[in-house]
Amino acid sequence: MSALYAQTLANGLMLGALYACIAVGFSLVWGVLNVINMLHGSFIILGGYLAYFAWTHFQVPPFVSIFGVAALLYLLGYLIQYGLINRVIARPVLTTLTLTFGLDMILYNFMNLAFTATPRRVTLDLGRLEIAGVTLPMDRVWAMLLALAMTAMLFAVLRSSRIGRAIVAVRMDRDAAALMGVRVNKVYAVTFGLGALMAGACGALLSSVFPITTSVTGLFLGKAFVICVIGGLGTVPGALVGGLALGLVESFAGQWFGPVNAILAGFLLMLVLLVVRPTGLMGRKGYE
Amino acid sequence: MLSAKGAFRRKTLALLSLCAAATVLASPLSAQTIKIGAPLALTGGLADEGKKQAIAYDMWLKRINAAGGISVGGKKMKVELVQYDYQTNEQRAQQLAEKLIVDDKVDFLLAPFGSGHTKVVAGVAERYGVPVMATSASSESIFNQGYKYMFGVLAPNGGIVENLTKLVAKQNPKVKKVAILGREDVFPKAMATSMAELAPKVGMEVVSTEFYPVGALDLATPISKIKALAPDWIYVTGYSKDLVLARKQMADLGVKAPVITMITGPAYKEFIDALGPLAEGVTSASWWHHSAQFKGNDPWGTTKAFYDEFVKREKSDPDYVHAAAAAALVALQKGIEKAGTLDKAKVRDALASLDVTTFYGPIKFSANGMNAGSELPIIQVQKSRIAVLYPDRVKQGTLQPVK
Amino acid sequence: MKQRTGLILFLLWVLVLAAMPWMASNYAVKIATFLAMYGTLALSWNFIGGYTGYPSFATAAFVGLGAYTGAIAQNAGWMLPAAWLAGAIVTATFAALLGLVILRMKGHYFAIGSIAIVEVLSLVASSWSGMTGGGEGLNVKFLPGGPEYIGRVFLYTMLTLMVAAFIATVLVDRGRLGFGLRCIQQNEDAADMVGIDVTRYKIYAFVLSAVFCGAVGAAYASWVAYISPGDSFSILLTLKVPVMVLLGGPGTVFGPVLGSAAFVLMEETIWAKFLDYHQAILGLVIVLLIFFLPGGLLRLLSRKAAA
Repeated sequence: MSALYAQTLANGLMLGALYACIAVGFSLVWGVLNVINMLHGSFIILGGYLAYFAWTHFQVPPFVSIFGVAALLYLLGYLIQYGLINRVIARPVLTTLTLTFGLDMILYNFMNLAFTATPRRVTLDLGRLEIAGVTLPMDRVWAMLLALAMTAMLFAVLRSSRIGRAIVAVRMDRDAAALMGVRVNKVYAVTFGLGALMAGACGALLSSVFPITTSVTGLFLGKAFVICVIGGLGTVPGALVGGLALGLVESFAGQWFGPVNAILAGFLLMLVLLVVRPTGLMGRKGYE
Repeated sequence: MLSAKGAFRRKTLALLSLCAAATVLASPLSAQTIKIGAPLALTGGLADEGKKQAIAYDMWLKRINAAGGISVGGKKMKVELVQYDYQTNEQRAQQLAEKLIVDDKVDFLLAPFGSGHTKVVAGVAERYGVPVMATSASSESIFNQGYKYMFGVLAPNGGIVENLTKLVAKQNPKVKKVAILGREDVFPKAMATSMAELAPKVGMEVVSTEFYPVGALDLATPISKIKALAPDWIYVTGYSKDLVLARKQMADLGVKAPVITMITGPAYKEFIDALGPLAEGVTSASWWHHSAQFKGNDPWGTTKAFYDEFVKREKSDPDYVHAAAAAALVALQKGIEKAGTLDKAKVRDALASLDVTTFYGPIKFSANGMNAGSELPIIQVQKSRIAVLYPDRVKQGTLQPVK
Repeated sequence: MKQRTGLILFLLWVLVLAAMPWMASNYAVKIATFLAMYGTLALSWNFIGGYTGYPSFATAAFVGLGAYTGAIAQNAGWMLPAAWLAGAIVTATFAALLGLVILRMKGHYFAIGSIAIVEVLSLVASSWSGMTGGGEGLNVKFLPGGPEYIGRVFLYTMLTLMVAAFIATVLVDRGRLGFGLRCIQQNEDAADMVGIDVTRYKIYAFVLSAVFCGAVGAAYASWVAYISPGDSFSILLTLKVPVMVLLGGPGTVFGPVLGSAAFVLMEETIWAKFLDYHQAILGLVIVLLIFFLPGGLLRLLSRKAAA
């Protein structure tokens, strides 16, 4: 039975890395802008569709098209934040949440019209790797490595670039940053753009791993909620830890209590953490 | 004060428009047409299936009206179809059923695609005594509320699974251990439960039965568990999205079995498209396949005529959802012709005792309102195409082990 | 004066809805029933989301819990009103216990915690097959009677619930509780310092936001005669109800009624005209609402009156 446990562990870690990738953009936006981005799930699926069409029409594999997809989504996110959300950013929580919900309905409607709800997948199967009785699907391994690389890149950008430091400064203290000459509105737009970029890139990565359909946007969004709360908000390591934790919990709970209760266990972990440690596993006051 | 007046005006206006809408629609329309109401899932989670129904309805409508309509007591009456989008939303389905009956004064109803939604619409129809044709409900649990006015053209799940277990037992006697993975949802769950009951009857052992939730994103854990049990037959139920994921993850995790069944994956074209080579060898059971030819007295006359018209129109093969939706209308048409009147109770009785063969196959409703059905096809993906394994008279191949 | 005209208008609205069976078709009766139902849900949400300022997304959790409780009680042979009452009581108790835990969170955390409750209950309903029928759903006894009779029964049930929720709103609005809740909304720490028992007040508001939803759910279950986890614990419902209140005017007595009525009637007309785009149009309405109607319709109307 120990081989099965090793496999469960491996499954959990790989799923966890994908989860981290799903959540990192969402976490960044929530942490810096204090906005729950209800569009996040649709951004991921939009990225997935773009990668799918790049594959079926131009035979460009997702690992290549990911760059174009990410750039497009960045632009879309930047414009949405700059043109719309920035205008109500100072209003209560419910306002920004409702606004992004409304925007999501619009985006979702158009995606449904354009792509229909038919599940599609990039049929690119890279085989699998067997190590000591544990089976690792190659496309997940690659997706996982890329997800980790992207997350590390985001971390590096926030750490060392000018705009990154500005984002961090705004997250810590909006007013002080403004006084120091940071153009807060632009920083917000860049941050939201980065969030959308990460979502789009994630969608492109997932297009060969999961079937892409508009009906799963809510599912991705829900995962992002849970992961962010478990890991702690607004930090790159938080999303990573939250994603891995959720992946492992779902994997092992599924092993012991069945798949329905596995999802339930994830939610319960999140609720417990909300109560006992609302800052999440990795939460702390500052950023990075 | 003014604000109050504004609000009052707003409310009265809204109300008046409501009443006005009601009276306009209540005015008698041409008595020469038969009105059939259809709440369709044109948007939302079941949009793809809803659109399939819409295509089939339209095909039937054009045919029947081209032939002058349905003959009612020796007089031909044209048919009008009143359709609304219920957005895959239960409350809307219920609301629209009432609208169709009360405002649009439809004579008969077609049920939506979703199993639960079918039940809710049937509940409304039952109160009004309006016959309702279920096009895509196959679980006994949909028909267990004792509704008298609901008729379904799909045969019960049990029959379809029984054919499958018998075929596999006969053509691959080495299959002994079965692992079942089902979606916790009306139809897929019923199909999985049927399998768990019927497999032991042909001497197979069910080594595991697990259910995954409706919102499952990943199935690695249950599939790893199945791998450890090394079954000879892996039987998965769900909708296309789940089944594509399951098949993909089985390959990812190196899970192999000589027989892999996915209900009703290969019955849909998109399943094969999304899986590519991985779809090869997957078996399924279905309610209808175009290669099972029938001759009947209906607007098409033969299965081939239906198939040809569909291919010409849609540039792809029809699946059982299309056929069953058209068949529901054919059954209704036959019921009306037999009753010779539009009287709802009489048409209901005529439907209850209907016994006809159509392009879709035989239609004869049993006491609970479900089509008894026979010769339900079993299919397998062979060389990227669907091959029929059963019934014998149309079989195109024998069960091949999955590589 | 203004309050009084509002009250008169509300009474007129109730009378008009109540008179539907004599004025229009059964379909209009059904719309009126949905108007009363959404009115009740919006009034309920207003206690926690409007007055207290806690962005709760637990509406569908309460409705679903009420639906399952009512259905199970009814199938066990309980009389209808008893089953509905059971739905309300179980839901209120659940809200009180849940409130102890999740009302300690604020802002987005509370929002996410409350929406997670919907998912959790839906999953429990899915996996507890013995009690709930699992994913196959649960049959509820099919009530005998013709469509007119049934239509009236449920219209008056929902109307009664809406009036009850409205009376509760008026009492809260004028009473100490309403004052305390508004203080909490403005500044929770300050409210605590001036001696308001913040925790208890928030739990009151949360229970008030649940109890009528539970009853609505139970009555709804009897109405449709069949419930399933996905449709009972609907995420869409949980997001729609707050939008209705925002549309009308949060933290007011009449806003929720106005907002839910406007929303339902708007949906009715939009969906009839724009089949493919109705979702986008609803989304657009929400976006416009946020930008141009921050205080809701009620504020707009009173501003016009002032001008």
